[in-house]
Amino acid sequence: MHIPDGFIPFWQCAIYYVILIIALYFASKWARENLDEKRIPLLAVLAAGIFAIMSMNMPIPFGTSGHMVGGALVAILFCAPEAAVLVFTVVLIIQALVFGDGGITALGANVLNMAIIGGSVGLYTFKGLKGIIGIYGAAGVGAWLATVVAALACAIEMAIAGTFPLTIGVASMVLYHFFIGIIEAVLTVVVLLALNSFRPDLLPWNKTEGGQ
Amino acid sequence: MPDITKALNLDELASKDSPIHNLDGRVKLISVLLVIVISAFSNNLFIPIILEIFLLIVIFIAKLSYIDSFKRIAMLLPFGGAIIIFQPFIHPGNILWSYSWLTVTDVGLNWAILLLVRIIVSLTAIVILSSTSPMQQIVTSLRRLKMPKDLAMILSIMVRFLFVFIDELAAIRRSQKSRNFHIHSKLTPYKWRVKQVGYTVAMMFVKSYEQGERVYKSMISRGFSDKSDLYNEKSSLEKSDYIYIFIILIIIITAEIIIFKYSNQLGYLGMNLSIN
Repeated sequence: MHIPDGFIPFWQCAIYYVILIIALYFASKWARENLDEKRIPLLAVLAAGIFAIMSMNMPIPFGTSGHMVGGALVAILFCAPEAAVLVFTVVLIIQALVFGDGGITALGANVLNMAIIGGSVGLYTFKGLKGIIGIYGAAGVGAWLATVVAALACAIEMAIAGTFPLTIGVASMVLYHFFIGIIEAVLTVVVLLALNSFRPDLLPWNKTEGGQ
Repeated sequence: MPDITKALNLDELASKDSPIHNLDGRVKLISVLLVIVISAFSNNLFIPIILEIFLLIVIFIAKLSYIDSFKRIAMLLPFGGAIIIFQPFIHPGNILWSYSWLTVTDVGLNWAILLLVRIIVSLTAIVILSSTSPMQQIVTSLRRLKMPKDLAMILSIMVRFLFVFIDELAAIRRSQKSRNFHIHSKLTPYKWRVKQVGYTVAMMFVKSYEQGERVYKSMISRGFSDKSDLYNEKSSLEKSDYIYIFIILIIIITAEIIIFKYSNQLGYLGMNLSIN
């Protein structure tokens, strides 16, 4: 769901860029307050890791393949969608400038979908459901919903841009990401389970009160 | 997402020698952004086509292979292409061709052509940028163009470690392959394969987190603090840099003037094909 250059008109790109700048302002403020100076190397190396993770294609039924985005995972691990905003902004800048994946003019829209919307939906679904269906179930549902809602946002943006009619766009994007989301959910849960056995101290729910 | 292991070859390609490779990183970055912005928001075919011709000449001067460049562009088209393919059928307009419920309209077809031209020009510009500037140079240029400090620093360190992780991922894949693991193999249960991918992702995550902690420790032991800034090597723009950016500006301004004054004489190329 990386929107390329040329699909969104100028004034709409400008609005998405304004949203991006505001989000970055709050994200850096969050990082300064919560991660101290450790934030820079940590987020940077994590972004490099996410980049590598995004390049692993996983076969999904019906002959296509999808890759993990990880927006919900990053947001859940840091307990903040702001972390996803910082990580995905740098990842998407490099993807746009070096790999041509996603447009430069559409950067604001892409960060909005994958990090701001994806991260927030993932995290808050997780927070809301973890008391009801348990940590891993909640993380899975959060990651699935994050993917579907991000795809929905992408379809709506395309409809506002006049590039794709709303009904067909929403139907096709949501249907496709309904399945992609399952992969995202399963991988998110497997990653969290694996982290729980390798490095339980990294998971926010294992941290003691007052710890970083 | 294209295979990032190709990034290694890309950086090798970007470190070659040609008049374009030797331009200042900032000049290359700004010119590419300029070309993309102008063509992505153009309502006619004339301006993007003029820019594409210019970019094709740049590819020649940069001694890049036309075949390889176009192969890369073709590989980047799928998502945009998938959306463009539907355009002729979904927009109201004069019907050009119809077969039962399927109709092609002039408005839709024109819009599809415009989108395709816009995206091809943007991708050509990106392919030129990434095959003539190493990744670190792009990042340094962003930093010198006054990108916010925190973001710039995250970006610089990320690019430095990207190559470490590319190697790391390649090593994991090689070891999986040596044990006959194949992600598309139908011999093993799907569930098990998903689990293996999950473990690989988790492993990459743990490795990157631990690497981040190590990098942080080694940085503070060398005096890094919240007030540190990255050192920017001083380099001034040379004559060739000014000439390059000047040529681009001249081309864009001339094309805009031609469109403004003579759009009627240009026929199809000068028509407003946009629907938004």
